[in-house]
Amino acid sequence: MKLGVFINDYKNTVETVDRLKADKLGFIFIQNGVFHATLKENGKPSSLLDRTTNLYVLSEDLATRGLTNSDVDSRVKVVTYGDVVDLMFNDYEKLAWL
Amino acid sequence: MGTLTMGCFSSLVGSKSLDFALKLAKAAADKGHKVNFWLSGNATVVGKAHQKHLKDYSTGEKPVMELLEKGVEICECEACALARGIQKPDAIPGIQWNAMHWYLAKIYSSDRVLHIGGE
Repeated sequence: MKLGVFINDYKNTVETVDRLKADKLGFIFIQNGVFHATLKENGKPSSLLDRTTNLYVLSEDLATRGLTNSDVDSRVKVVTYGDVVDLMFNDYEKLAWL
Repeated sequence: MGTLTMGCFSSLVGSKSLDFALKLAKAAADKGHKVNFWLSGNATVVGKAHQKHLKDYSTGEKPVMELLEKGVEICECEACALARGIQKPDAIPGIQWNAMHWYLAKIYSSDRVLHIGGE
């Protein structure tokens, strides 16, 4: 199963994520979840970024928070709403909201 | 093209999740996908007509009407709306009113489902 997970808040969701089993796992950071892609605590990026290589962040939600592409971890791809729709239909057959 | 069904169980007008869901629905409809949109809980407030569009204040009526014009099917949880004092004549024309079975039926006939939980 290919599972796309929308992460909408900046909190420790690692335990929940660890219980998700998928052949392909993707994280789409939206709303306050964009901080996973941009912030470092004690010099360390969010541990969620180590869980998969399929990482996306919504550009509009970055801009709303005064962030730009240059603030985003190099492992994360910046995407638009249209890109998110394509990911949903082309890359992930199941979707979850955390 | 596929069919996407979304259920929004989030907060009032101005909520981050509801705002996201409205924009995602528009993006999917713009790409030619069929979109079904279930409004539950406090999200039913977005379906009320005659919302005042205040400066710098988020409202949902305009994006909802745009979605309806694009052919998006939007349905309010009737019980949720009535519990919040919203009667059917108060709703934006074109919005459907039904019970949870509408959402379940749409889910079973969709290619993709995004169930957005509460905030």
